[in-house]
Amino acid sequence: MAWCCLARRVGEHGGVIASVAFRNFKALRNAHLALAPFNLVIGPNGSGKTSLVQAMMRLRTLSALPLREPIPREAREVSNGPEITFRFLPPFEMTEAVLACESDVRCDLLQVTPADEGWPRLCERIQGMRSYVLDHREIANAARADEGDELASDGHNLAAVIARLQSQHSENYAAMRDELVRILPEYADIACAPGRDGLIELGLILKGGSERIVGDAISQGSLYLLALLALAFHPAPPTVLCIEEVDRGFHPRLLREVRDVLYRLSHPTSFGWKRDPVQVIATTHSPYLLDLFGDHPEEVVISAKHGTAATFSRLADRADLQDLLAEGTLGDMWYTGILGGVPEETHE
Amino acid sequence: MSEQPAPWRLAILSESPADETALRVLVEAVLRAPVTWVTPSLRARGWPSVAQVMPAVIRHLHFNTDADGLVVVVDSDDSVTHTAEHDAPNYFHPRCRMCQLRAIHRQTTKKFPPAHGRARILRAIGVAVPAIEAWYLCGRDERVTEEAWVKGQETGARPYSRGELKWRVYATDRPSLVLETERALVEVARHRKDTRRLEHEFPGFAALAKDLRGWRREENS
Repeated sequence: MAWCCLARRVGEHGGVIASVAFRNFKALRNAHLALAPFNLVIGPNGSGKTSLVQAMMRLRTLSALPLREPIPREAREVSNGPEITFRFLPPFEMTEAVLACESDVRCDLLQVTPADEGWPRLCERIQGMRSYVLDHREIANAARADEGDELASDGHNLAAVIARLQSQHSENYAAMRDELVRILPEYADIACAPGRDGLIELGLILKGGSERIVGDAISQGSLYLLALLALAFHPAPPTVLCIEEVDRGFHPRLLREVRDVLYRLSHPTSFGWKRDPVQVIATTHSPYLLDLFGDHPEEVVISAKHGTAATFSRLADRADLQDLLAEGTLGDMWYTGILGGVPEETHE
Repeated sequence: MSEQPAPWRLAILSESPADETALRVLVEAVLRAPVTWVTPSLRARGWPSVAQVMPAVIRHLHFNTDADGLVVVVDSDDSVTHTAEHDAPNYFHPRCRMCQLRAIHRQTTKKFPPAHGRARILRAIGVAVPAIEAWYLCGRDERVTEEAWVKGQETGARPYSRGELKWRVYATDRPSLVLETERALVEVARHRKDTRRLEHEFPGFAALAKDLRGWRREENS
């Protein structure tokens, strides 16, 4: 996508999705989730965290295609197949989009009601949704300079994205660099430059000298932090950012900084930024990251698995939450099983 | 010419790095003596993590470092506020965090043999009622005092919430660590030369200051 299109995609409102309802979609047999500006999803493996992200990306993919005529449920070959219903934030709150299966082999039906003149604008915002499963081995790779428009889902083009920021958005770049060296004071600067093969190499300058460490010599945590900062300081961030295992590679004491980077996206005014909020959906298995949400339990989603069926609930809906917080940290409470969202065990 | 006293070697156990930065300023303001800080800094993940890790922290400082003392500061949140009655001999309120932390120190150090040339790790404990942001507002917002909070607890009409205190200090309910630290340093700068008002309006801080001054007397005696 061209740079100019990226910049245009930011609309007048932040966020896109108001809620998602699942029926017979993988483990999500009958589940509903109202989404907040920031959503930290916790839960055991196979409890629907990734399925939530996949559903949103499927909406993005299908919304890029021309809409088809509605097919009533009774007219489909499979009437009880997977179905995912999306509701949207204002000004699109009257619109509903349903992903469904037409037959056993064809599961790409997107039905929008009303499919009126508002749909192209909503579609533009849906197209701005992105999901990330960052991979430090990919992030460390050199990248082609022409790949620098936006960060790829695994982060493999980070060097090019940073180089583009530096050349075209120097203020954003400087702010990102300042944030990096504040959080990781062992570094003095970022230095992304073309290598012998013409590819942009990711590099960091160590403090107290001019030694430049490059690519996979950079620590995993530093690579992940750089990727998050590149997302947060990008002039045209996604409309919705889904990021899996956001705590990966970080020391527990750095997780507060990770949370702050994500809050920059979802609550930019808290950081003195005047730009549209990004709706954030982050998954984690870290009790230490969860600890940081005691003041905002409404941002925590617990995915739970009962047998083969998974459901979502909001931590803030626990009536006894304040009593629990007086007794222990959220992370401890989660680990004990009091909050739910833990793996099932067999005791035979 | 009198010799400069050796600096106190101290450790702080608190709930966040921003709190710790502010507490360093306040501790030095009370002690009026040079302080060096034990590294790496200690950290707990909020209450009750502070109480859980405190015995291990005390043991570590006593046997593995040459620290003179440990400063512990926690938020009271919705717990019972410490009062003068709690200071009576052998009194212990199980829902008062000051009483709990003092008891943990007492129990932990009771059977320690001397180490590193001192009999025990000194302790100074403060409880910010209801949160450390209330201390930051001292001298800026007259409505925010420990007495106002306690009266609110008694009548069931709280004068403010912890969230409101955060808003007044940070102008957001999602402050970054950088903002928290910056604001904390700005606010405690008012007390750098004189902590009397903070002690008067926040007995939970006065207790901390009393502990620290007790160290000084101990040193002088």
